[in-house]
Amino acid sequence: MRTGAAAGHHGYFHEAVRYDSDEQLLAVVLPFLLGGVEAGEPTFVALGERTGGLVRAALPTGSGVEFLTGGSVYARPTAAIRSYRQLLADRVAAGAGQIRIIGELPEVAFGATWDWWARYESAINHAYDDFPLWSMCAYDTRITPPHVLDEVARTHPRYATPGGEHLPSPTYTEPVVYLREERAAPADPLQATAPLIELTDPTAAQARAAVQAVDRGVLPPDDVDDLIVAVSETVTNALRHGRTPVRLRLWAGPDRIVATVSDAGDGPKDPFAGLLPAGDGATGGLGLWITYQSCNHVSLHRGGPAGFTLRLTAGNPH
Amino acid sequence: MTGRVALNCPHGAAGVISGMTPSTTYGHVCWVYDDPAALDQAARTFLTAGLAAGERLWYVTAGPVEPVVARLTTTPALGDALARGAAEVVSLPDTYPSGAVVDGPAQVRAYAAATEAALAAGYRGLRVVAEATPLVRTPAQLDAFTRYEHLVDRYMRARPFRAMCAYDRREIDGRAVAELACLHPETNAVEAPFQLFAWDGTGHRAGLTGELDETGEELFVTALERADLRPVDGRLVLEAPGLRFVDHRALLRLREYACRRNSAVLLRSPLPAAARLAALLDLPGLTVEVAR
Repeated sequence: MRTGAAAGHHGYFHEAVRYDSDEQLLAVVLPFLLGGVEAGEPTFVALGERTGGLVRAALPTGSGVEFLTGGSVYARPTAAIRSYRQLLADRVAAGAGQIRIIGELPEVAFGATWDWWARYESAINHAYDDFPLWSMCAYDTRITPPHVLDEVARTHPRYATPGGEHLPSPTYTEPVVYLREERAAPADPLQATAPLIELTDPTAAQARAAVQAVDRGVLPPDDVDDLIVAVSETVTNALRHGRTPVRLRLWAGPDRIVATVSDAGDGPKDPFAGLLPAGDGATGGLGLWITYQSCNHVSLHRGGPAGFTLRLTAGNPH
Repeated sequence: MTGRVALNCPHGAAGVISGMTPSTTYGHVCWVYDDPAALDQAARTFLTAGLAAGERLWYVTAGPVEPVVARLTTTPALGDALARGAAEVVSLPDTYPSGAVVDGPAQVRAYAAATEAALAAGYRGLRVVAEATPLVRTPAQLDAFTRYEHLVDRYMRARPFRAMCAYDRREIDGRAVAELACLHPETNAVEAPFQLFAWDGTGHRAGLTGELDETGEELFVTALERADLRPVDGRLVLEAPGLRFVDHRALLRLREYACRRNSAVLLRSPLPAAARLAALLDLPGLTVEVAR
């Protein structure tokens, strides 16, 4: 039994909230949260430190609303999907008829890594549709760039407004369409320089050794090890599912290692590639899903002169 | 490759012997050669080490005995050992049952008896160089012999028996080389990306070293089947202090293998990334522990 605006809806009821003042945010969020608690629904907040504190202070003591730490939830899109799906499955198994969540991406997500968060916002329309979830994604229009707000409109089926309305988003685009569009991230400045290593058709073992060779010790060893896993998987997928020549290029900066793996093919056909594990391991989808959780940024580039390129960043994405 | 950089690609660094002196841990070496002269030198080095350790020496040759005796005699200490009976060159048909397909348990029993006889004669063990190429020419021979290699590997963990198994790369293909080499704790063969071996004499724990990725996935499945590992208390344990890389495919295959034996599996390695991978897969019955 679902309540509120999502009553009668099947699956995921996904809304965006655009606000330009704390009052506007609270005007949407407080009734949403208190309504969930009143209906006995598991109700969560995954906001940043400032807005989370604002909401916490505005809620009555012992409200029953649960707070997730927004920063760690939204570290990597695929990990966020994995942990949210687990949370939702657990609550449904415990008998929840609906789960409510208000979340907010950290401002850093609107920068160099926005492309994969845009893919996240689109993909979750599918990824959470197995569950009776009503969620709101809050965007502060004072700090959110216009091009990000355009993508928010295309990835959220509807908006929740401070006036209590739930309005359809006119530009909402189905994930299977949206996720097949070219959405390349800006080039990392390192890519304007000659790569430290460039290999054509390397074995996965050679690719792993190449990452070790460019490691200057500026990143934590675990980050380098995870990048090695990611590069190994990406090269393996390119050799197995792409078209030769497969090219690995590696750069190292003061705070990061950047790898690109290109092949002459079209890239994965699965629009959710990387964000969800592929149903059958034969398509290489599990490797890409692991890759997405082993790097601080992964971006897809289709249709360029190089064919399909996956760019992987360990350290700080630029 | 277009790039020319000095890659640190330590293929088989833990278990692949790069020089001519096998630094054996317990002495089960797969030696693959293209040049008989290289085998001769490696064999003399291996046997000389046994001499120093007070072991009885055998050289099992696939060809005539006399030329081998002549070659070994060029190393004076080995010549002395041959003269006083501490070393012996025997022909393959006398040591391995003819008819080609090896009976693994029977062969282990034969070497066990020879080892005990050596001990009874006052030696500190038995050390053998065996030219085994004629025993692995057909798929059936290869399958039986690789299974035997792991069985005898277990025996070597328990008793003072050491062996260098020599295979002629000119006569068997690269896949066969890989299938043989990956079931030895030590090898000079670059064809084996990983090695699976006995960790104790009971077969209750196995050792694993090298790199496991998609290129070795099928080989890994084959090696596991042939090793026929035995769960203890519902769990298989693989000790992998020398493991340098393992991907999700290998972890999944390992788990499937354990499941077919109604068992869970524990892989203990120094790789935190492997433990993170296992955490991502989040599969019951698969545990990866980090042990430095």
